[in-house]
Amino acid sequence: MAILSYRDAVGRALQDSMREEPRLIIIGQNLAGHALKQLAETYGKERVRDTSISESAMVGMAVGAAMKGWKAVVMIAYADIASVCHMAIVQSAAKLHYLTNGRLDCPVIIRLPIARFRGHGPEGNEVGASWFYNVPDLNIVMPGSANEAYWNFREALQRPTPTLFFEDRSIHTRSGDVAENSCGGKAQVTRFGEKLTIIAAGRAAALAEDVADEMAKEGSRAVEVVSLGCIKPLDKETIFASAAKTRRVLIVQDEPPLSGYAPYICCLLDELPAKQLKMAPRIIAGADQYLPFWDERPFLPSLEEVAAMVVAMMR
Amino acid sequence: MTSMQSAQDFDHQNGLEWRLYTGMLTTRLFEDALIRWEHEGKISAQTFPSKGQEAIAIGCCLALERGDAVIPSFRTRGAMVAMGITIVEQLREFVHSPLAAGGSRDAPHHASWPERGVMPGSTMIGGHLAMAAGLALAMQLEQKGEVSLAFFGDGTLGSGDLHETMHIAGMSRLPLILVCENNGWEMATPWQKVRKTQSLIPYAEPFGFATRSIDGNDALEVYNAARWARATASNGQPVFLDCMTFRAGLYSSHFGEVRGNVEKDLATWEQRDPLKRMAEWLMGHGLASAEELQRLTRQEEEGIEAAFNTVRSEG
Ligand SMILES: Cc1ncc(C[n+]2csc(CCOP(=O)(O)OP(=O)(O)O)c2C)c(N)n1
Ligand SMILES: [Mg+2]
Repeated sequence: MAILSYRDAVGRALQDSMREEPRLIIIGQNLAGHALKQLAETYGKERVRDTSISESAMVGMAVGAAMKGWKAVVMIAYADIASVCHMAIVQSAAKLHYLTNGRLDCPVIIRLPIARFRGHGPEGNEVGASWFYNVPDLNIVMPGSANEAYWNFREALQRPTPTLFFEDRSIHTRSGDVAENSCGGKAQVTRFGEKLTIIAAGRAAALAEDVADEMAKEGSRAVEVVSLGCIKPLDKETIFASAAKTRRVLIVQDEPPLSGYAPYICCLLDELPAKQLKMAPRIIAGADQYLPFWDERPFLPSLEEVAAMVVAMMR
Repeated sequence: MTSMQSAQDFDHQNGLEWRLYTGMLTTRLFEDALIRWEHEGKISAQTFPSKGQEAIAIGCCLALERGDAVIPSFRTRGAMVAMGITIVEQLREFVHSPLAAGGSRDAPHHASWPERGVMPGSTMIGGHLAMAAGLALAMQLEQKGEVSLAFFGDGTLGSGDLHETMHIAGMSRLPLILVCENNGWEMATPWQKVRKTQSLIPYAEPFGFATRSIDGNDALEVYNAARWARATASNGQPVFLDCMTFRAGLYSSHFGEVRGNVEKDLATWEQRDPLKRMAEWLMGHGLASAEELQRLTRQEEEGIEAAFNTVRSEG
């Protein structure tokens, strides 16, 4: 379709959705005056709705509007604030479809930009996706590329259940081709390799791609990268196919290791026939601690760490 | 102590008015320097400057007594200054000095010195108010007459935590002072777009708060109101001070100026600048000369630069 930056891909998805879905509204803060000036001018303040700093009510209202057949995108300033509207996400949004026996849908996107490396401190640099993994019916998206960002956004508005859209600001300027066909809900093999699969999402997926590219420069075609894009529901097929091919799996996630897609995928891989994998899957995860204002990087997976693990696993 | 003491009562430069002036001056120059250093790449922390609003922090905190507790907003650096936290101590948090009391973990605008009454705030708008009420609850139990004071922006009206806190504090007669830095804007959104009245008093009064609307750019008025508030809260009625002001500086060092069409307002409020007014008061009462104030500014600037050099040599 076009080469876009990750940031612009999200913007384009929002624009295209507003154009194509007349019953879509956007709820957020500082939209007309700052964040979505253009959209606010085009669609007016009826559909681009500025609110006070009231995240719990913003999400709850999106769910109420969904009861009347509307769709909504709720713009949260940054991902940590999901804690403020946790009640509305878990009790109101996620349970609507189930509690009404499927008679009401909740096609609501809660947009949660991860604000890493911006000096926000521990109340402003968390991911928080793992707070939500055990909430049934709650879709979790964490794009690692422009393509995944665009299509997972579009796809989310077609779902009967709500979606947390974890947009990683640290890769906002990374550009990529947005394909003609949707990859929404599907993991992507973004680098092809023979000997080892790295599975990751968001920034960690971009990191994995960088490792694969570095090795490719040195003539190695060892590393394959599966970028999840959508964490929940999880595209097991693509994961299993790649694991069966390379027979070594490394899973990288930015969040601490006690929950998240990494330990879960690790468990899933146990379903593979015995000896299918040459070795037990390995995980590189964020440290089990908060990320200090001063420097977040020492506590997050790094290029060097991933590259070293790849070498160690292939030895 | 009242602000109407005659000039003879003043130990020169130790009098209240001088302390109000120097507190505001230090805050202004320090924040200017922080923004400059950030743009020069010497530090990497967001600053949310309180320029034009300094009288609120300084006036309120100088009215407190030993044992009282303060929770600053993200825009109340003056609270740290007035509570006696030196520039060196504050700067250590920015540069991760080995002597930084908080270890540079929290964002520097939320840095805390609990043993000196400066408590950790919250990046979640409104989140710190319930903690301020909890401090007040402990103080009520301990019966030493101490009070808890929290600063917050007018955008906090949207936060459920403010209303929940006011409900409980009003009913429980907590020794709590809520101080609103009412600058009429929440980021890029003017108050008219998100609430019915600029004043927050109509929202606070029914909960059982004693209230006062004050000129937040008049340091003496703020100080006197805060003395009244302290006495009232200490006697078992929570107080809401609505300090009318205007942000003369940037929203933040990262985002810059985000408000549209504020040139006229900026010019009007420039005339009401709290530092300028306090300087005029001092000179009008024969307590300072223009040269003396200029010299003081230079001294302060040099002191701030020297503090930066000190903390940089610590690590
Ligand atoms: C719960 C929550 N929502 C959104 C934000 C993002 N945010 C930070 S400051 C701000 C505006 C605050 O306005 P106001 O309280 O009036 O303070 P001012 O900037 O005017 O001092 C917003 C929306 C946040 N920090 N926390
Ligand atoms: Mg404000």
